[in-house]
Amino acid sequence: MLVKMSGLKQLFTGFRFLTPVTLSMLLAGCSASVINIEGNYPSPLVNQLPLTLGVIYDDNFSNYSFTEIDEYSGDDQYIINSGASQVDLFNTILPAVFSQVVFLESADDIASHPELDMIFQPGIEEFQVGLPQKTRLNVYEIWVKYNMRLSAPDGNSIADWVMTAYGKSPQETFGSVDAGVNEAAVEAFRDLAATFSLGFANIPEVNDWLRTNNVL
Amino acid sequence: MKISKLLLQAPFFACLFMVLSACTTTEIDEFRQSTTQIQTDESIVILGRRQSNAYETEGEFVECVANVVASGSDGINVIPETQFLDEMFPFFEPRTAPMRTDHLAQLMEQEVAAQKFEDFGISYIVWLDGLTQRSQESGSISCAVGPGGGGCFGFGTWVDDSNFEAEIWDLDNLSTVGAISADANGQSYLPAIVIPIPLLARVESNACSGMGQQLKTFLRGNV
Repeated sequence: MLVKMSGLKQLFTGFRFLTPVTLSMLLAGCSASVINIEGNYPSPLVNQLPLTLGVIYDDNFSNYSFTEIDEYSGDDQYIINSGASQVDLFNTILPAVFSQVVFLESADDIASHPELDMIFQPGIEEFQVGLPQKTRLNVYEIWVKYNMRLSAPDGNSIADWVMTAYGKSPQETFGSVDAGVNEAAVEAFRDLAATFSLGFANIPEVNDWLRTNNVL
Repeated sequence: MKISKLLLQAPFFACLFMVLSACTTTEIDEFRQSTTQIQTDESIVILGRRQSNAYETEGEFVECVANVVASGSDGINVIPETQFLDEMFPFFEPRTAPMRTDHLAQLMEQEVAAQKFEDFGISYIVWLDGLTQRSQESGSISCAVGPGGGGCFGFGTWVDDSNFEAEIWDLDNLSTVGAISADANGQSYLPAIVIPIPLLARVESNACSGMGQQLKTFLRGNV
């Protein structure tokens, strides 16, 4: 037994210089590619609503990350971090849609802002990625399902609705998966911004509230 | 002796390749519904249709046509597509863009949108829709690398087919004034004797050039 142990020790000692190299090669082969979505979003050209809106981005939203799994190996293939970019998006569109926007850390801050008319909290319910190597289409696709919640400062719900966003980018335009996925995601976020800024006042419950409060 | 023979044959092969690489057919059709006469202080914008899930009009093609329309002494002022989309956001996104001129009329009822069009000085919107498809791919090329070097051998060929249509909207009358279609197709060859020699049919660039020139003539009102 002792002989066997020393033999093993010798074996490991002999190959110890190979271990870091081998490990790094194995890790490089298995590790997921991280894609941080980055984009610039234009401010929408819409008539502002004369309202003061409080906005809460919870941690799930502001740190949102989606992991695409390799269907053959079951390993993580791509980790798509889009939270920061989505916060940028809402930080751009909300001040264009509402005359005043107050960004809140949490619901606890509502009490210290008596000027607020309504509280808005976006959330992501689903995030899907279509990669050309899987879909056999020549485009990268991103589809996102949002849950938007709007409430009065006292906590009563005004509206709770679902919005979807879709973006695609042609495969041949982009040399890398990262760039293709990034462009598709930016297109999807623009799609959301467009439908949100044009359709917000037409959400039935929101429209009722705006009419009741003589905003429209 | 062999080298001098090869040198004599080289121009023949070069000419053959040039003839082969140039075999592209382009057809431009114009359909005019109203008269047009763009003034020098007026602008246009050329936009790609991106509503379809199956394909989208390539931004590169839109840019290429815009460059052709804007070039030359008779060039027309073209607002860059990206600048227009950003400054008109959110009215011309894939899901919100007007599909017909009556939708455009509804859009122009919004003061912010109408003012922006006036700021740009845009008289016409050109919608480009179409794509280039590859078909009839055949042949095969094998490449190998060894200690003494490497090389490829084989032959490949394919057909590219570009179909684009431009619909022109007049912003003064809020109506369609005409349409131009560009169909181009051509066969490309890729012979490989040690190195692959691409003999590419310039299908999309011919469609772009033809479309751009015809658009310029159409908007100038030249018959």
